[in-house]
Amino acid sequence: MKPLRVLGIETSCDETAISILEIGRGGARRAVSVQIKVNLVSSQVPIHQKYGGVVPEVAARSHVAETVSLLSQALDLPQPLLGKEGAIRSPLTKGRYRGVFDAIAVTSGPGLATALRVGIEAGRVLAMLSGKPIVGVNHLEGHLASAWLNAENRKCWKYPMLALVVSGGHTELVLMKDACKYKIVGQTRDDAAGEAFDKTAKLMGLPYPGGPEIARLALEGDPAGFDLPRPMMNDKTLDFSFSGLKTAVRLAWEPWTRGPDTLREKAKRDLAASVQQAIVDVLVKKTIDAAKKYKVKGVLLVGGVSANTLLRDTLAAALEERLPGVAYLPSDRAYITDNAAMIAAAGWWRLSKGERHDWKKIEAKPEWNL
Amino acid sequence: MKYIVAKMEEWDAVARAVAGDLKPGTVITLSGPLGAGKTTFVQALSRILGAKTNPRSPSFSLVRSYKLPATSYQLSQLIHVDAYRIDDAQDLLPLGLDELLSEPGTVMAFEWPERAEAWLRSVPDVRRITIESDPSGVRRVDVR
Repeated sequence: MKPLRVLGIETSCDETAISILEIGRGGARRAVSVQIKVNLVSSQVPIHQKYGGVVPEVAARSHVAETVSLLSQALDLPQPLLGKEGAIRSPLTKGRYRGVFDAIAVTSGPGLATALRVGIEAGRVLAMLSGKPIVGVNHLEGHLASAWLNAENRKCWKYPMLALVVSGGHTELVLMKDACKYKIVGQTRDDAAGEAFDKTAKLMGLPYPGGPEIARLALEGDPAGFDLPRPMMNDKTLDFSFSGLKTAVRLAWEPWTRGPDTLREKAKRDLAASVQQAIVDVLVKKTIDAAKKYKVKGVLLVGGVSANTLLRDTLAAALEERLPGVAYLPSDRAYITDNAAMIAAAGWWRLSKGERHDWKKIEAKPEWNL
Repeated sequence: MKYIVAKMEEWDAVARAVAGDLKPGTVITLSGPLGAGKTTFVQALSRILGAKTNPRSPSFSLVRSYKLPATSYQLSQLIHVDAYRIDDAQDLLPLGLDELLSEPGTVMAFEWPERAEAWLRSVPDVRRITIESDPSGVRRVDVR
C-alpha cells in the first residue's frame, strides 16, 4: 500500500497547529511507519498570559492569522492555487513538493466554537479545492494518538488499553477496547487536573500557566509539608474531584500571606510540593485501579499535564511494581501539548478504517464527547 | 435570603429555594473567591432541576449546557457560564449568550459576573448569589 500523506489542522484552543504525516505499512509484519514531514505550532499562551487564560475573540482572531501563515509554510505552494482561467492547479496533490497531501484531518471538537471554526473552514476549503478526503477528528482521540507517534509505543500497541488524558480542560480515563472504540470509564466531576494546578497556583499568587510553576517550586519543597485532601481517592468509582483542593489550599495559604518573607517562601515551596503530590497521588491511584479492573495490556499517559515529571515517574513506577507486564506508553514531551501531528495520526486511524466525511457538513462540536 | 452552608448536602436547600422561582430567561450570578463553592452550587441546582449529567467546571470551555427534563420546573436547559478567564464583556460576544438565553426554557448560571457586568445589565431578570467563606470553611450565602 502506498504511504498516505495526511494534513492535520488543529485550532481548538490555545495553539494553532499544522502538520503533515506520511504513514504507511511495510515489511513482513506490515508494521506501521510514521514520518513527520511538517510539524508547525504557534502558541497563544504568551497572549493569554496577559489575561490569565483564553479569550475567545482574541483566540479566534489570532487563529485566523496563524492558520493562513502556517498553512502557506506547510504547503510550501510553488505557484498560485488557481490557474489563469480559474482552474485549480494541483500542487497540493501531485509532484514532489514538501506540502503534498492525500487527505485532511481537522479537529472538530471539543473546544471553543469560535476557535474550532477557523481550522474547520480552512480544512473545508482545502478539501473542496483539492478533492481529497477529509475527516473531522475528536481532539481527545488526537491526544490518544499522540502516544502512538512514538515508534516504541507502537510496538506495544495491543488492545485493550487504558489512557489517562490530563490537561487544562480534561481529566479522563479512557478504555480503548479496540481501534477507534472507546469508553470513558472515569472522569472529573468538577475541575480538571490542569485547572487544579492553575487555580491553586493563582491562589498562591503564582503566574499562569500554574502547572510548570508549581512543579518548579515543588523541586525544593516538602510534599508532606501540608496535609491536603485526596478527594475520592478511596471510593469505588473511577471518577476524580479536584474542586476541594482549591478550598484546602486557600485555607492553608491564608495564614502565610501575613508572615515574614523568608518563612513564606519556604511555605510556598512546601505547599506547591504538597499540591502536586495530592494531584499525582489521586491520578495514579485511579489509573492503576482502572488498569486492573479492565485487565488492559498498556497504559497511555497523554495531554498537557503529562509533562509533569512527578506524574510520569510515579505512574511508571506504580505500573512496574503493581502491574508488571502492562506496557507504559506516555507520549513524547514534544507531542504533549496541542499539536496537529496527533490530529493527523488520529485522522489516519479513521481513514484507514474507510471513514470519510462530507466537507460540506463538517461543523464545530464544542461539547463533543469521545 | 441568607443561608449558612457548613456541609455539602446543605447546598441542596439553597438550590431548592433558588430553583423555586426560576423562569425562562433568568440569569443567576455567582460571586465569591476561588474555591468558594460556585460550581458546587451549580451542581446542586442541576440535580434539583433534574439534569442527568453532573456539571463540571466550565472554566476551560467557558460555556457548557445541560438538558433538563420537561417535567421539572417547566425548564428545558441550564447553561453554565464561567467568565473566570474573561477580561471584558466584549469578549463574551462570540459565545452568543443572548441567543442561548433566548432559547425556550433556558436558565443560566453565571460565575465571575464581575467581569461581564456590561452584558448582565442588558439581561432583564438577574438573581445574584454571593458566597463568602470563613477560615473554618463555613459558607455564608446571600441570595438576592
